[in-house]
Amino acid sequence: MSTREHGDTVEEDLSALRVHDASPERVERIRGRCVAALAARRVAAESPARRGTPWRAWLEPAFALGLGALYLAEAVTRALAVYR
Amino acid sequence: MDREIELRLVTRLKAGEPAAFEAIYEAYRPRLFGFLVRLSRRRDVAEDLLEETWLRLVTHSATLTEDARLGPWLFAVARNLYFSWRRSRAVDASRTSELDPAWPAPERGDSPFEAAARAELERRVEAALARLPLRDRELLLLVGVEGLTPSEAAGVCGVPAVTLRARLHRAREKLAAELGVDQAVPRAKAG
Repeated sequence: MSTREHGDTVEEDLSALRVHDASPERVERIRGRCVAALAARRVAAESPARRGTPWRAWLEPAFALGLGALYLAEAVTRALAVYR
Repeated sequence: MDREIELRLVTRLKAGEPAAFEAIYEAYRPRLFGFLVRLSRRRDVAEDLLEETWLRLVTHSATLTEDARLGPWLFAVARNLYFSWRRSRAVDASRTSELDPAWPAPERGDSPFEAAARAELERRVEAALARLPLRDRELLLLVGVEGLTPSEAAGVCGVPAVTLRARLHRAREKLAAELGVDQAVPRAKAG
């Protein structure tokens, strides 16, 4: 028996191979995970204000702290003024 | 997949449209699974790698280029994941070349004769493929089974197109030889 010599025959043999698929449970699981990941990405992209911008992350606490310090300083000054 | 449709799907996927993902998933899932199961020879491994491949697509979809070719992209990811898995598990080559006797399962709808003839041809081709070195097998799967062009397959495998064509030619010869050997066995036994 001689070996086959033509690539075409090999291609025909390969094309005869059946198409396979993952189990239906796995197919659904992958679909669910991917669609959820896409949805999460869209939500994150559509509401950047909700997450805040980097400069707000430190400016807001600093501003609040500054206002608090001013209020406290004024309160202490007035309290001392009462005693004097 | 038609190139125009593919380009539209890439744009929509970049925007995060689930319907675009669905279309791509339906078009490429069986092909990717077939590629992975024939590379790994293990259904459980192929399913795990398939899941990881799709998650990679979703994770990286926003950074895809507008003219990305989905087939080569997906097969490249699947292939790299398989080789990573193989390295991490230090899988014995002889083990991976063994055929699972329960695979492939008979296809529903065939008559008993058709099923038997088809199963016999398929068994011979699957067995011959499994006996080939992994590097030859992946080329035949990408080009011969999945229909990628040699240039696309070269991109997937990370080798120059000229090199791939030479390797593909040798891989086809090896498969033809394996199929010839496979056919010779029953005759020798019969004689």
